Amino acid sequence: MGAAIAGDDGELAGRCAIVTGASRGVGLAAARRLAAAGALVVLTGRDAAAGAAAEGAIRDCGGQARFVAADQGDDGDWTRVISEAEATFGRVDVVVLNAGVSEMAATADLSLDDFRRVCRINLKGPFLGLKHGVEAIRRGGRGGSVVMIASIAGRIGVADHIHYTASKAGVAMLAKAAALELGPEHIRVNTIYPGFVRTDMTARFDEDMKTAAPLGRVAEPGEIADAVLFLAGDRSTFMTGAEMVIDGGWTAR
Amino acid sequence: MTGDPPGKVMVVTGATRGIGRAAALRLAGDGARIVATGRDREAGAETLRLIEAAGGSGVFVAQDVAVEADWTRVMDTAEALGPLAGLVNNAGLFFVKPIEETSEADFDRIHAVNVEGTFLGIKHAFRAFARGERGGAIVNVSSLMGRVGYPGATAYCATKGAVSGMTKAAALDGAGMTPRVRVNALHPGVIWTEMITGQFGDSPELAAAFAADTPLRMVGRPEHMADAIAFLIGEESAFMTGAELTVDGGRGAD
Repeated sequence: MGAAIAGDDGELAGRCAIVTGASRGVGLAAARRLAAAGALVVLTGRDAAAGAAAEGAIRDCGGQARFVAADQGDDGDWTRVISEAEATFGRVDVVVLNAGVSEMAATADLSLDDFRRVCRINLKGPFLGLKHGVEAIRRGGRGGSVVMIASIAGRIGVADHIHYTASKAGVAMLAKAAALELGPEHIRVNTIYPGFVRTDMTARFDEDMKTAAPLGRVAEPGEIADAVLFLAGDRSTFMTGAEMVIDGGWTAR
Repeated sequence: MTGDPPGKVMVVTGATRGIGRAAALRLAGDGARIVATGRDREAGAETLRLIEAAGGSGVFVAQDVAVEADWTRVMDTAEALGPLAGLVNNAGLFFVKPIEETSEADFDRIHAVNVEGTFLGIKHAFRAFARGERGGAIVNVSSLMGRVGYPGATAYCATKGAVSGMTKAAALDGAGMTPRVRVNALHPGVIWTEMITGQFGDSPELAAAFAADTPLRMVGRPEHMADAIAFLIGEESAFMTGAELTVDGGRGAD
């Protein structure tokens, strides 16, 4: 996590990357990894204090970062995030749509309000981020990369998580359709499907259950961040609409 | 049908036209008592007339699947006929629009009908199945676009992906119920209905173009989907749950 900053030599040198939900967990790890590769990183999140700390941590390592307090599911917030990104770094090349919430509920008892709240952040949020992000990438005229952080719940069912599963499977198809639409403009859209990662979000799950993947452990956030870097930059230039599953073998079972 | 035992009670949403009407007719023909729902009362009355003309029985309930109170009315009507046996979550919206022209309101509306409407159907059917104590089956009508992308249909694809995801989560939840409830998804390809013709136009040339782009060289008819729905909701698929059945003339394989 404390990787030295690559600066001008980094594979993302001079490119601006927006990372949502970047104040902790996978988002923070991804923001640090991209910054270490030379990217100019805009971090977003709803927790201003945690976001400021994340921005500071990247700067302390010599990276360039700016935190913007924003809700991924809010259209107006996206307008602000993009204008701050363009004002600060002059361009947008990469958008990592990572922010998400996960809740447990029995389907028959789940209120429409709770269902909607999860889908607003996890599904409408990525749609809005895609829409606003792509408009900014287009203004740059150089193409770009959008990375969706879904979940293995976008591929398999999870009991008592119908809203979470709906949102993650929805994101996966959002990415594929967008990949077809944006391919001619060299804007790539790919999806990462993490299994259980050691984050606050997964803390509520039983340890034995989480480590039931063939590799016998959960992922560290940095292992997802490595994949984000791969999809963000020039090592994946022929990949779009693709699914990168990083689950310790969970869905191979 | 006089003298036969009363048929199973099945709810079919979006039964005012297209796949929903064909499914309602097919299930009624198989002996089910149909609760046909939709927003268009006149078209609903016509569906009912067709059911009855074929010797079947059913009722129509005006419903917007995105409105939870409407689901309560639908289930009350269904359970007045007998315990709920099946739900076909068919109602859906479709539009093609580039990402940048798709407004937040566009997204909210298609999400409300295709995702929230499907969720509400599953939720209220689960409750009805629990009350009926006989188990049951749900068929969610998704789309081939819930499996593969379609340029310009980003919002629609997202909603249908969500339907596939809900199908699997609900299948696990339903498998934990006593008696068990099965939940499967159907992915129609290009089916010649108002949903398609309303967006792309209705001409023999267009149908031929879609057919030429489909390995079986045909466009689908609502009756093809009704056959698949009857299979997924009936006992022939008793070992299937959380499954996705693609009926698309081979488009998804191409």
